[in-house]
Amino acid sequence: MRTKRRLQAAALTALAVVLGLFTVQGTYALWSAAASASPGTITSASFDMALQAVNTGATTNMTLSDGKPATLTLSPTGTLGPGTSVYGGMVVSNNTNAGGQFNTAITASQPSVANLNGGALATYIIVKAKVAASPSECSTATAYTAIDTAGLVSPTVAKAGSTVFCFQVSLMSGTPSTVNGQPLKGQAVTIQTTLSARQLCGVPNVC
Amino acid sequence: MKNSTLIKGTAAIAVGAALLLGGGGTLAAWNAADAAAPGTISSGDLNVKASTGKWIDRAGNVINNIGAYRVVPGDKLTYTQDLTVTLIGDKMAANIVVSGANAANNFTPANVIITGPALKVGGAVVANPLTAISGTSTRTVTATTSFEFKATTSDRNDVNTSYNLGDVSYTLTQVVSAPGLADPTPQP
Repeated sequence: MRTKRRLQAAALTALAVVLGLFTVQGTYALWSAAASASPGTITSASFDMALQAVNTGATTNMTLSDGKPATLTLSPTGTLGPGTSVYGGMVVSNNTNAGGQFNTAITASQPSVANLNGGALATYIIVKAKVAASPSECSTATAYTAIDTAGLVSPTVAKAGSTVFCFQVSLMSGTPSTVNGQPLKGQAVTIQTTLSARQLCGVPNVC
Repeated sequence: MKNSTLIKGTAAIAVGAALLLGGGGTLAAWNAADAAAPGTISSGDLNVKASTGKWIDRAGNVINNIGAYRVVPGDKLTYTQDLTVTLIGDKMAANIVVSGANAANNFTPANVIITGPALKVGGAVVANPLTAISGTSTRTVTATTSFEFKATTSDRNDVNTSYNLGDVSYTLTQVVSAPGLADPTPQP
């Protein structure tokens, strides 16, 4: 009996010591709870303006994949004679994938006319432009005006919308047949205009 | 006569002795008893649960799929998530904090403004610790994070760029804020 009681006492003592040891190594803690969330990923839109030449159907984005500006050749149909005009144009489309509103305005700069191969034709070239609702309007002679230094600005082009820039190239009526002994017939010029697209502010008092 | 006295005295003594001996029973002092029912002790509760969050744009329109939405300069998106906080206990008090981790921002820092996550109760910034409210076991704490793509972003900067907001954690931890609670420090 005594032995049994001694063993029991020893076991209780050992247990108490063990508990005591664990108590020293651990800590008391109050209640706590936690929850989590993953709000997700926010992605910005593209800023893609698509261009299509009216006469040829050639297409390109205004900005190439390498970030450089594209060049689109309009190729007006017909040949120029004194007092005559040729026409060309391009359709500009707002191809953004923006989730919300993304209105734009496109500006065509005042064009530059440059002679090729040392010619003298540029002096007699007149370039006018207009903004149209459809490509068919480009071949209509009405409403063309000269582009000043401020450029020609389109109406607002909304997401998935488009506008048309039409160009009229005319040879002055009194163009001489020769300049400095060189015949103007057969000479060529390059006409360049720069297009720029600008996002319009969609939130009052923010932009 | 004497015999009578003797006899009486003897009888008395015998009776007394008999009384003493007759203790097949015991002598007991006074005692009394009563009963009581101390009652039932119940524990309180502490918990936090997050509901599904939602994104809205500057105009308050809900964005159902943030993964498919594309922001442009001028956009400001706000993420709101309601937390149901349960606090039960006469000495219950708890701090609620929010933290973010694993965010990955590919935007130019100068082109975006990120605020939060922040916690509010009834529109006011949370003032820790929260305590149990008599008559109600839960309350709503609202967590808010906002992302603004600055309208001053120029050219084609930050097109096709992403910002992963990562993981947001909400932790509710009981604190000792009333007398009568044990200080949770290690005991030797």
